[in-house]
Amino acid sequence: MGVAEERIDRLHDLARAAASECEHERARHYVRLARRIAERNRLSLPRTFKRFTCDACDAYLVPGKNARVRLQDGHVVVTCDCGHQARYPYEEQ
Amino acid sequence: MALTPETLPRHELNGLPVRVAESDDPGTVGLEGIVVIETTNTLQIEVRDDGGSRVVQVSKSGSVFEFAITDDAADLEKGSGTTSKLADSQPDSSEHDSDESDRAGEGVAYVTVDGSRLLSRPARRTETNGDSPWQ
Ligand SMILES: [Zn+2]
Repeated sequence: MGVAEERIDRLHDLARAAASECEHERARHYVRLARRIAERNRLSLPRTFKRFTCDACDAYLVPGKNARVRLQDGHVVVTCDCGHQARYPYEEQ
Repeated sequence: MALTPETLPRHELNGLPVRVAESDDPGTVGLEGIVVIETTNTLQIEVRDDGGSRVVQVSKSGSVFEFAITDDAADLEKGSGTTSKLADSQPDSSEHDSDESDRAGEGVAYVTVDGSRLLSRPARRTETNGDSPWQ
């Protein structure tokens, strides 16, 4: 694993920790930095990173705190406090 | 490449415990805390003192920082062959202008880095002097 991937991993952890302490601006800073590193090094971000960050405002999402998670027919809807919604399909087992 | 004394100048600094060892600004010498935000020219260090915490902004240029990196990185340094090989194969120049002195503790390595080596946009530090395939 290269330095860039490891930095993204660390930033993911830092963003999660900051968000859980309600330091949402700091969490955004880490999310933006991780995105920039991925972009510059042509890496794709891990799926958990993509699912737990808001595409619109870069917030790190903590369900129940600054994100609403609802199940609909065949997909999950995650609504950020900024109002942006993300939909992900799921398959019933 | 794990976080080792060699890779630290290209690695993530946010979240690392740090001490300001020397600085042109006497007010910041001896500060100890966690790096919370890095900018091109500064590190913002969160210092916990009795009760609360405050964030102090320290200029990179003109300061010497001592970072503490824990267990896994220090173990890798001694144990694995690959990291030491990589370190050996680095050009001599980079070995000399890096004034890294490692004081090994119990699973903690202290790495002293001159702030001028960290002057770079945070997202670009990884590329500037490294193993990027595009150079
Ligand atoms: Zn949002």
